[in-house]
Amino acid sequence: MIAQQLFNGLFLGAVYALFAVGYTLVFGVLDILNLAHAAIFTAAAFVALSLALAGMPLPLAFLVAAAVAGIIGILLDRVAFAPLRARNAGTLVPLISSIGVAIIIGAIMRGIYGVDERHFTTGGLETVPAIRLGPVTFTTVELAIFLSAVALMLVLSWVLRSTTLGRRIRAVAEDRIAAALLGVDLERTIAATFFIASSLGGAAGVLTGLEYNSVTLDMGGPIELKGLAVIILGGMGSVTGAVIGGFILGAVETLAVAYGASAWRDAIVFGVMFVLLVARPTGLFGKRALRQA
Amino acid sequence: MTLLADFYAKHSRLIDQIGVNAILALSLSVSLQAGQLALAQAAFMGIAAYVSAMLALNAHWPLVATIAVAMLVSTVVAALLAYPVRRLRGVFLAIATIGFGEIVRVCANNLGSIQFAGRTVQLTGGAEGLSGIPNDATTLVIYASLAFVALALVLISRTKFALAVALVREDEYAARGVGIDVGAVRTLSLALGGAIAGLGGALYAHASFFITPTDFGFARMEQILVWCVVGGVTSPFGAVLGATLLSILPEAIRFLADYREISNGVILLAVILFAPGGLSSLWRRGAVRVRS
Amino acid sequence: MNRTTVPVLALLAIAALVAPSGAASKGPAAGKTVHVGVIADVTGGAGIYGTPQKNAYELANDDVKSGKIDAGGANLTFDVADAATDGAQVVNLMQKFTTDGQTVIVLGPTLSGEAFKAFPIAAKANFPVMGTSTTAEGVTAMGSSVYRDALAESQVIPTTVKRTHDKWHYKTAAIIYGDDNAFTKTDYDVFAREFKAAGVDIVDVETFHIKDTDFQAALTRIESKHPDVIAIGGLFPEATKIIQQAGKLGMKTHMVGGNGLNAPDMYSVAGPASQGTVVGAAWFSGAKYSSNLDFVKHYSAKYGKGPDQFAAQSYAAAQIVAYLVAHGATTKDEMSAALKNVRVIQTVLGPIGFDQNRDVKSSPVILSIVKDGFAYFH
Repeated sequence: MIAQQLFNGLFLGAVYALFAVGYTLVFGVLDILNLAHAAIFTAAAFVALSLALAGMPLPLAFLVAAAVAGIIGILLDRVAFAPLRARNAGTLVPLISSIGVAIIIGAIMRGIYGVDERHFTTGGLETVPAIRLGPVTFTTVELAIFLSAVALMLVLSWVLRSTTLGRRIRAVAEDRIAAALLGVDLERTIAATFFIASSLGGAAGVLTGLEYNSVTLDMGGPIELKGLAVIILGGMGSVTGAVIGGFILGAVETLAVAYGASAWRDAIVFGVMFVLLVARPTGLFGKRALRQA
Repeated sequence: MTLLADFYAKHSRLIDQIGVNAILALSLSVSLQAGQLALAQAAFMGIAAYVSAMLALNAHWPLVATIAVAMLVSTVVAALLAYPVRRLRGVFLAIATIGFGEIVRVCANNLGSIQFAGRTVQLTGGAEGLSGIPNDATTLVIYASLAFVALALVLISRTKFALAVALVREDEYAARGVGIDVGAVRTLSLALGGAIAGLGGALYAHASFFITPTDFGFARMEQILVWCVVGGVTSPFGAVLGATLLSILPEAIRFLADYREISNGVILLAVILFAPGGLSSLWRRGAVRVRS
Repeated sequence: MNRTTVPVLALLAIAALVAPSGAASKGPAAGKTVHVGVIADVTGGAGIYGTPQKNAYELANDDVKSGKIDAGGANLTFDVADAATDGAQVVNLMQKFTTDGQTVIVLGPTLSGEAFKAFPIAAKANFPVMGTSTTAEGVTAMGSSVYRDALAESQVIPTTVKRTHDKWHYKTAAIIYGDDNAFTKTDYDVFAREFKAAGVDIVDVETFHIKDTDFQAALTRIESKHPDVIAIGGLFPEATKIIQQAGKLGMKTHMVGGNGLNAPDMYSVAGPASQGTVVGAAWFSGAKYSSNLDFVKHYSAKYGKGPDQFAAQSYAAAQIVAYLVAHGATTKDEMSAALKNVRVIQTVLGPIGFDQNRDVKSSPVILSIVKDGFAYFH
């Protein structure tokens, strides 16, 4: 039973990690918490759903939706963050403007798609071939989701480490003013950061929608706070940390339930986060990890 | 006079909500002014709401006594919370305190009743909530409480403590340099915020018949934070202004019907972009312009 | 005769007695304007439940105009206001409707927790209100003007347990329920009580939170305890995923649930795994009496998708109010008096009345999920 539970945790963790990587990237570069990240997560799932229902092959719909999410991310920055950045409004005010954008995105989604739960396919999950590996069972969809999440995180890690864009992003994260003096185009780098972060968050949304064959207006709700727990576990601003934090969270959640504490699951998750923060205020990896990635 | 009485009869609930919300916003503004982004106000509020509701329902205590005990409990909890988070700053403090709030909410959910000495003792009522709470927090009680809090904050602002708070906010190292006990200042300001949030929570319970754990979750915390920042974090006046305007907003734009939800977001965004320092800063900016 | 034919025949007989007698435009209400306040969570977290309620009242507005609902010639309107799943807005709306001088009754709000905040205001003013989905225990006890046309879980689950136990003779059960929602927590309480009363051993209890999407950890744990039956205390979004994921994990255990599982999309969403799941509910979308057939047809035509139980119970409330208006209740006080004297009114839920606690008097339907829908459970 524990083997199955750990597998459940692994699949859950992959999506948490993907969501949190975007969250932490924005924090690492701009020192702000983007509370519209969960709304973009949801919007991308709806976009992919529309495309898939219109007949587009799923992998393509997935990529297009992630790209759309990235564009929404750039718009989010231009509308909610850039004007405040220009006026040096600190870190608290952008939090509020991102809440405003989250409300707007939610209202638009409700206007377009209505309140009902939507589905990629009808007929439940049994139509999907299952794979049995000793004591564990999982579906091909779960496997595909897991592999896509891992692949995207590897791509991000490569971009950050080995491309000019990655070096610019890390430079801006390290010291915005020094980076500007060295000729990095701040606004363009920030726009790229938002594109990457939001498309990863959007990809997580599409994968979540696919995994449960369900897209709803409030699907981003539970992951919003859990995403915070993940980036704390790993260390704010650390991409590697967010990935590991995601898997830790998935494991903690499933094990809490497996050992009969389902009613206390969220308290355990946030309790672990709280203790970790108090014991190691910079998290397992700390912000330096992004700068040195 | 009858016009006024008629207006009150139609809007007394909203008027009461504004008063309670203003108290909650003030409680957060106290820790924000000390430079602490501690987001546990909804948890303090919830703890006090449950304490005062349980005392009223199980022990039939009078309102004032339940409020006093509830405030005491929330103050102590806030002071105790200050210790483990003493090394945390900024967004890290925010997230730790949000986590604390989630833990409190889960506890409220799970501690519906306990078995004690062979009897079942009703506690929070769990997800089904606590209903039938005496509705004795009248408009007069609420606004007297608000006035009391405002007066207390004005008086505190004239003490050396307020100076120490300002110094800690602006430069912790300088504060240490001149011999200020930074830890004590942070603990006191968090405890003060906890006391005020406790007052707001107890009044909330006694003004709404019924409480449930979701009343005190992250959504409430987010709401209180939005009130404060939209009003302006630098002054208690801003907190009250933000809470007042944003409590009225959903009712004021009811005529927008299907466009109400999106308008809510657009208005919030527009206001914060137009006045990143909060609405109260416009007032001051205006005043400066007139004088100059 | 079996269990279902008796109520069906009784129902047909009553339907004949109370069938509308043509447009009674010359009745006591003819020409009068009557406003009914409706509080529904059209937006926010409960929008998935409040929106069908709003739809049902808008359909009722159309049907009053066209004469499909007989309001005795009165100009009857249902004024739907969105409370955005915000307790404060529910309270403000309740105060607005009860003091505006024209509203004669308030229908709603959507959630029990909201009702506990708002109904005391109406009760204090002796203002008639009716819950259509607020099924928690104690809602109607808030005052003598508080009614409810929704069959509570405590009225539905005992029959569900009895009927399934009679058929399957199970000895052990597991319960999985949402512990942060009044409705689903009540499910747990009632299932646990009824299982114990039937001598069924509860071998595992698992909890989840509303909006959770992954139940595999809990289901894997339940499976390890080998219960004969699994009771689901959940609402549609969670229940479909529980059933889906149980199917995915290859679990074949019988499942039972309450009103929360009674949604038209159940099969199409949860898939073949849901076949055979037993659902105790207040309403059957496939019931063959004419007012229900019309309602399902017209609702589907207007909104492009069939009504759920939230819509049906709201539409039934509209029918009750229209019936009372047609019989002369055109003010708040007349409405209060008329509600006290209701015997039986024909609605889409079947013929219903109110008991001495002002709770709905009707019998639950026990359904079984079949391919593409529901059927009576035998």
